[in-house]
This record gives sequence, C-alpha cells and structure tokens, in this order.
Amino acid sequence: MAQYLAKLDGVFLALADPTRRAVIHRLGRGPASVGELAAGATMTLPSFMKHVRMLESNGLIHTAKSGRVRTCELNRERFAVVEDWLAQQRRLWEERTDRLERFVTKPKEKDTK
Amino acid sequence: MNPDLDLSIERVIRAPRKVVWGAWTDPANLAKWWIPAPAVCRVDRLEVRPGGAFVTRMSDDGVTFAPHVDACFLLVDDFERIVFTNAVDSGWRPANPDPVAMTAEVTLHDHADGTDYRIVVRHGDPAARDRHAELGFADGWGTVADQLTRFVESAR
Repeated sequence: MAQYLAKLDGVFLALADPTRRAVIHRLGRGPASVGELAAGATMTLPSFMKHVRMLESNGLIHTAKSGRVRTCELNRERFAVVEDWLAQQRRLWEERTDRLERFVTKPKEKDTK
Repeated sequence: MNPDLDLSIERVIRAPRKVVWGAWTDPANLAKWWIPAPAVCRVDRLEVRPGGAFVTRMSDDGVTFAPHVDACFLLVDDFERIVFTNAVDSGWRPANPDPVAMTAEVTLHDHADGTDYRIVVRHGDPAARDRHAELGFADGWGTVADQLTRFVESAR
C-alpha cells in the first residue's frame, strides 16, 4: 500500500506542471525526441530537460539515447495507478483471460494435449 | 453480484473445455499465461482441490522471484468450476492481501464453438478505497481517473 501511494504521489507530482502535461499529451500520440518536445516549450533546453528527467524518474516515460538523439516514450502502465481499483482489477482479469484464450487456441498447444 | 465491488467476465473460448481446464490446473500450463510477459511466472503450489494451496511467484529477470498469489482453493468441480480466495492464504491463515481481498469463481461449460468461460470476482472492501478517502479523492476519484485516461487516450 505504501508503495502504491508513493507511485500515486509521483504521478500527480509529475502532472502538476503545464510543461510536463504538454509532454505527456504529445507522447500520447507516440514516441518523440527531446528536440521535438522541446520545440513546443518556451524555455531553455537545460530547463526543459529537468522536466523530462522528472517524468522519467517518476516512471511516466521511458527515454533511450541513440547517437545524439534521446527518444521519449509514454509508460502507459504507470497511469494504471490512478485508475479506479475495480477498473484495475477488471483490466487484470480481462488481460488474464486474453492470455488464457491465446494459450489454449494456439495450434501447437492443442497438439500437446 | 454487487456492482460496486464485483466484476464478471463472460467469453466464448474457441477450445475444448478439457483444454481450458488443463490450462488452469497444470502448473506448467498456468505458468505460461498467468502473468504478462516479459515477467516470468513460477507456480509453486497448485493443489486443485478444496482447501488446496495456490501459490505463484513472479520475476522480472527470471532469477529473483517475488510473491504474487498466495491463495487457497475453496471449491473444485472437475472440468467445471474452480473457486479460490486470497483472503485465506495457502496455509489457511486469514490474510490481508494487497490491494484487495477477493474470491474468484471460474466456470466452464460446453459451447458449440468451444467453451463458455465465465469469471465472477467478488471483492472485499479494499484498503485502497479507504486510503483514497483519506486523500480526499473519495468522490472525485472516478472522475479524475476518467479525465486522465481521456487526456492520455485523446492524444493518440
């Protein structure tokens, strides 16, 4: 529970800023480089990077560097902590059922039965 | 069913009932679908009979395993029904599982296309809900979650 609340705090802290919300909003459309994201912000790159690092340290986004380009991607799982608990349990069971269904309908698995 | 506390899933699975039953009751099979990849599932105990233990562990790296489910079967009708709860652990000790105590009832029936698969999960009143109330989100919680979901999804 304590861990859950810590995660929750992190999510809300990360979203309590318009620059960071804009980054989340943009990343909802798909991954983007820090350069692309910073282009929409009215601040210096070092200041912008602080926001990116905060989103990353709170687990809301992942970043990966390739050459000189750092690409950011939304970590959708992280948003699950703010879902209603029952919705969260429902999703867990729906996904579990999806996996069971895939497992029992894979032709290979059927043959071994 | 209490709509505030319970959930149900109904699905037709295109596989024979015996195969679905086997996916639930054979430890090697269960390990393959119980936890989402890339996490690894280890089925420590799967004693599919009333009072039997149901213990699974999970791992991100395949080396270090953390607790996952520690539960107890309440009722088992071969090839038809499995009921288990995490409110009593595998050693029959009353438990206070995180995030919420539940009893899951899985029923299988024959269907023209395979198996009529149904799940009912009955939850206790979750600790998380109490904590949300403390945080002052009791009423607005669902709204916040909906808005945030829409906010993230709308940008797709």
